Amino acid sequence: MAAVAQAVASSKVAVGDTVIQANNLTKAFSESVVALENASFKIKKGDFVSLVGPSGCGKSTLLRLVAGLIKKTSGNLTVHGKEVTEPRADTGMMFQRPILLEWRTSVENVLLPSELLGKVTNEDKRRAMGFLEMVGLKDFEFTFPRQLSGGMQQRVALARLLQTGADILLLDEPFGALDEFTRERLNVELMRIVSQFKTTTLFVTHNIQEAIFLADQVHVMTPRPGRLAKIIDVPFARPREISLQLTPEFNKLVAEVRDVLGGDH
Amino acid sequence: MTSIASDSSNIGPAELQDTGFKRLGLHILIFIIIIGSWELAGVFNQLNDLLLPAPSKIIVKFVDLWFIKGTIWWHFFVTMFEATAGFFIGVGIGMSLAIAAVISPIFRRYISPYAIAFNVTPGIAVTPLIIAWFGFGWSSKIAMATLVCFFPPFINTLTGLLYTDEDATELFKSMRANKNQYFWKLQLPSAMPLIIAGFKIALTGALIGAVVAEFFSASEGIGILMQRTSFKLDIAGSIATLLSMSLMGLLFFSIMEVLDYKVIFWKRDARMQQISKKRKAAWRM
Ligand SMILES: Nc1ncnc2c1ncn2[C@@H]1O[C@H](COP(=O)(O)OP(=O)(O)OP(=O)(O)O)[C@@H](O)[C@H]1O
Ligand SMILES: [Mg+2]
Repeated sequence: MAAVAQAVASSKVAVGDTVIQANNLTKAFSESVVALENASFKIKKGDFVSLVGPSGCGKSTLLRLVAGLIKKTSGNLTVHGKEVTEPRADTGMMFQRPILLEWRTSVENVLLPSELLGKVTNEDKRRAMGFLEMVGLKDFEFTFPRQLSGGMQQRVALARLLQTGADILLLDEPFGALDEFTRERLNVELMRIVSQFKTTTLFVTHNIQEAIFLADQVHVMTPRPGRLAKIIDVPFARPREISLQLTPEFNKLVAEVRDVLGGDH
Repeated sequence: MTSIASDSSNIGPAELQDTGFKRLGLHILIFIIIIGSWELAGVFNQLNDLLLPAPSKIIVKFVDLWFIKGTIWWHFFVTMFEATAGFFIGVGIGMSLAIAAVISPIFRRYISPYAIAFNVTPGIAVTPLIIAWFGFGWSSKIAMATLVCFFPPFINTLTGLLYTDEDATELFKSMRANKNQYFWKLQLPSAMPLIIAGFKIALTGALIGAVVAEFFSASEGIGILMQRTSFKLDIAGSIATLLSMSLMGLLFFSIMEVLDYKVIFWKRDARMQQISKKRKAAWRM
């Protein structure tokens, strides 16, 4: 609550450090469907923010607003001090499904963003190969998506996201469709990559533990209408170990999030 | 044909291959029994040659048509040319209209009632008009083939291009792809399986269109050969001609299967592995 108040108070001046800033941001798909109502927040450069909340509370809507894929109904939304009107070169998005082009090999899929920018250079190719290695897909550069497991496909999608060179990453339940083991591994890898590239990250999830474990700040949302109910700072030092989730401090934060969401979560 | 080969290579266990052979054996056995008893009926004078001649007589006619008199070659070529020309024109028109309808929603709205009206009208019934408009030569046969075959490529191209995966569309938008890139890199390749399925139906349709137009009036073509033989009550000759048409149909079908196998490689595991190796070998950086 304190953070919301502060965000509203200082909203007129764009602080140099702030990358994403929303002010009473509202999105209504129709009069009765208000997907997001009066959301205000600030996200600092290099921060990892988790968006958590039950289905239908407007998490994807918020992400798509920031991505410039849909238009807001009212309020303000700026990225690097500029009103968001269309997709930006410095934001990249990743979805629950990998959405790979079936007729392209892994490396050709990763090269897609470079192709869309113009001619593919040797440097682009070297970077693509490097990203595939980074996500653990060395030796799978020339396989087609159908020959890869779901987890491996999502790794290709992650490499493709990195290839865009975006420093604002918008991730909509990127590992939500994967089994728990794979998801945990990918989360750890994601943390490592994100801190290496110092990107600003907005990560949507249903899972409270995951949200806290990954983030510097958790934005808790509630449905009907979609509202940003509370912003909770996560103080744990990095790098974090999986065992962090067993500590009482961690579970206190889990309880705090649960409290906002009500008993049913 | 080739696709069948690749499918059977996926069947791993030996027992399955075994049943495959057994099944093939059974097919051959049934075929022999049917043809054999038909032939026997002929031997015992149970068949009227004016209605149903024995298989051996049909085979004799077939060999005669193709290799002794060789009368069928020219007719076969003419019909094949008409059908193929009709196919290419039909595909060209069908795909152009579909692309125009995808680009312009207004065009789509105004063309769709005509497209539906056209589709529910039996194309074959238009033959007399087509002959009146295009004359008795090849052009009326080509026009007829075009008419019968243009719809499947039209509707399949339209459907394929319109129903691009929504998430993929969003991904392309988020990567700021322009219209051209969106079309060539996402829309068209995603629609390819459906488009080729449209081609397959169209090619069969083109053959039907050409032959029916020949029935009406023609001096050359396999349809008119069929009519001449049957007017002469040469039923064995008619059936031999009919078999030759099946042969043409089979030829067309195989060409389409090869096209499908080559283009839509990402739906076939064996082919995909092959391409994967090729791309790896061709990689330069
Ligand atoms: N394009 C749209 N048209 C109309 N209503 C929409 C549209 N997209 C989302 N909504 C509505 O907006 C609300 C919020 O949707 P949103 O997808 O943002 O939820 P979410 O928090 O991402 O849910 P989930 O966790 O299930 O993905 C829902 O009630 C949804 O039905
Ligand atoms: Mg969602």
